[in-house]
Amino acid sequence: MKPDTVVEFDVALIERARRGDAKAFERLYRDHVGRVHGLCLRMTRNPDLAADCCQDAFIKAWKALPRFEARASFSTWLHRIAVNTVLEKRRSPSNSELAVEDPGEYQEPVLTFDTPVEEEELEAAIASLPQGARDALVLCGVYGYEHSEAASMLGIAVGTCKAQLHRARGLLKDRLERGVR
Amino acid sequence: MNRRVTRIDELARDIPPPRDLWPAIHAGITAAGTGVPQATRRRGAWLPAAGLAAGVALVAIGVLIGRNIAPQAAPVVTAAQPATDSGMVPAALRDAEYRKQRDHLLVEVQDRLQGMPEAEREKVSASLKTLQRSIQEIEAALGRDPANALLQELLVSSCQEEMRALTAVRDTGRQEI
Repeated sequence: MKPDTVVEFDVALIERARRGDAKAFERLYRDHVGRVHGLCLRMTRNPDLAADCCQDAFIKAWKALPRFEARASFSTWLHRIAVNTVLEKRRSPSNSELAVEDPGEYQEPVLTFDTPVEEEELEAAIASLPQGARDALVLCGVYGYEHSEAASMLGIAVGTCKAQLHRARGLLKDRLERGVR
Repeated sequence: MNRRVTRIDELARDIPPPRDLWPAIHAGITAAGTGVPQATRRRGAWLPAAGLAAGVALVAIGVLIGRNIAPQAAPVVTAAQPATDSGMVPAALRDAEYRKQRDHLLVEVQDRLQGMPEAEREKVSASLKTLQRSIQEIEAALGRDPANALLQELLVSSCQEEMRALTAVRDTGRQEI
């Protein structure tokens, strides 16, 4: 995960929250809710479900705080909980949609466009992707996680994650060219 | 206005939820309890008793101040004090008086610390800081849960401990003079 998520101030808040300080946890919530909700929304494509997942993720995080290791990134840890929550809410898990392809084949997670794309159009195209491909694209492409981190969060093999991302990139470009809506 | 991007990672990572989720989360974590050890949470069961103790202890700190913090006399807390003290000073005034006395004592203690050997000074300062940190933590907890009698009691006893310690440090200096 990129270092911008590592906020030293979090450490003090986390320590207070671990001791049962709800106010400190509220600060953590306010600092992180946008990103957690964004992740949930992009994975679920459903505003109500995303809000539920986000809410549940923070409650789970509160309960799990004593097990949080201070060395880790709180943001990554929180995102992992959020991803787990989304996966739990889905009726059918999306992993193993694709066979594992050559893991070394797709190393560049950043997807670029030759011509600028409207955010709204891009979001709609992402939302239209199949679940597994969308998850990989959201975690690796939008939130900047390494394949290994994203694969671990999603409970899939690294190769599968890479394959899903490759699939997502192809589908996304295709849909943007055709116009999603 | 709809922004245009050329890279997917230029998309906003933060998307705030349409409503504030905190009230529901707060209710959830309150109902669920915390990761804090069970023993800490079970204290709530005897809060009514702790409330009585806190009431007595609050008077004790008033007594401590009233005695002008005699160094050799640790404040004695008795159950009779609240009932007999009909002219009790309002809590806010008592608190203001306590803080005034404490501030005065702190100045004297700082002077005394300057005259101590370095090793001794560090030891005493560390002990006082620990006490003060405890008090700050309890005050912060009380800020969130002002009616918590256990915390009130802890605050009073910690303040007493601090006053005893400050007085002892100050008077050690006097004895040497």
